[in-house]
Amino acid sequence: MFSLPGYDAFLGFLIISAAVPILALVTNKVLAPKSSAGERELTYESGMEPIGGAWIQFNIRYYMFALVFVIFDVETVFLYPWAVAFHRLGLLAFIEALVFIAILVVALAYAWRKGALEWS
Amino acid sequence: MSISNSTELICFLVLAFVVILGSLGVVLLGNIVYSAFLLGGVFMAVAGLYLLLNASFVAAAQVLVYVGAVNVLILFAIMLVNKREDLKPIPGLQLRRFLSAGICLGLLVLMFRVVLITPWSLPGPAAIGEGATVRIGEHLFTDYLLPFELASVLLLMAMIGAIVLARRDIQTVDVGTGNEVNQSLIEKAGTPLLVDKTTT
Repeated sequence: MFSLPGYDAFLGFLIISAAVPILALVTNKVLAPKSSAGERELTYESGMEPIGGAWIQFNIRYYMFALVFVIFDVETVFLYPWAVAFHRLGLLAFIEALVFIAILVVALAYAWRKGALEWS
Repeated sequence: MSISNSTELICFLVLAFVVILGSLGVVLLGNIVYSAFLLGGVFMAVAGLYLLLNASFVAAAQVLVYVGAVNVLILFAIMLVNKREDLKPIPGLQLRRFLSAGICLGLLVLMFRVVLITPWSLPGPAAIGEGATVRIGEHLFTDYLLPFELASVLLLMAMIGAIVLARRDIQTVDVGTGNEVNQSLIEKAGTPLLVDKTTT
């Protein structure tokens, strides 16, 4: 049984948003004059001439931020059902959620103390 | 067959096609950057499958955690590798391939067995949409309370482990200037990343 109330509009948006890049590329292919002279073959990069390949070495510090982000992302996912079912769950669940948050605040304090949140 | 049924079938076929093709691309493509981006697409398609099964919360969690966080982490890890290295041939490659094929086939057989012996009928009417999220919340705070609290301890351990591992100093050489760069994950008193042009 297909019963996704409210997702008809989502499906419509999905189809339209998929059609936009396809139409843009196809119109470009059909209408634009074809020439490979000069800078036509270059990758567009905000009007500058691109230097080097796309696969560059990131600064390794971004990785630290991504790691911290993963932890708190998972925390958000765990807290969302609690927020939705808040009225049904009562005081005990509130205290349980506070314990959950408190343990993760320890993690945040540790990261802060060790300087993982600082850039320079 | 009603219209909604055929819509569901079309959506399922498209998503399944994307999942299978994307996973094959992840495994078979030579450039691992392409593989990582395809993996993000596969995760999105799996989220679509969850939506088709009326599990909107699981779909949102899939997009938030797997596409938003895990895949970004994988991409960063790939981007840390500066350039493609010439890989040496692994000794005993054929044997390894046979071994991994055997293990994968065993897992497939196990999965088929699970599909066949699981009773798929639900106890009571299935919750849909927000009702499903409410039910997840109720279960999470009553009979799954201990795993829920343990999850926070696990996250704390993961965070501390990541920071301890990241604090090791790694000295590398800047490609452009040839100077040594402090590439440790956490900034110490070393060179600041964004050099202030006005003072130098």
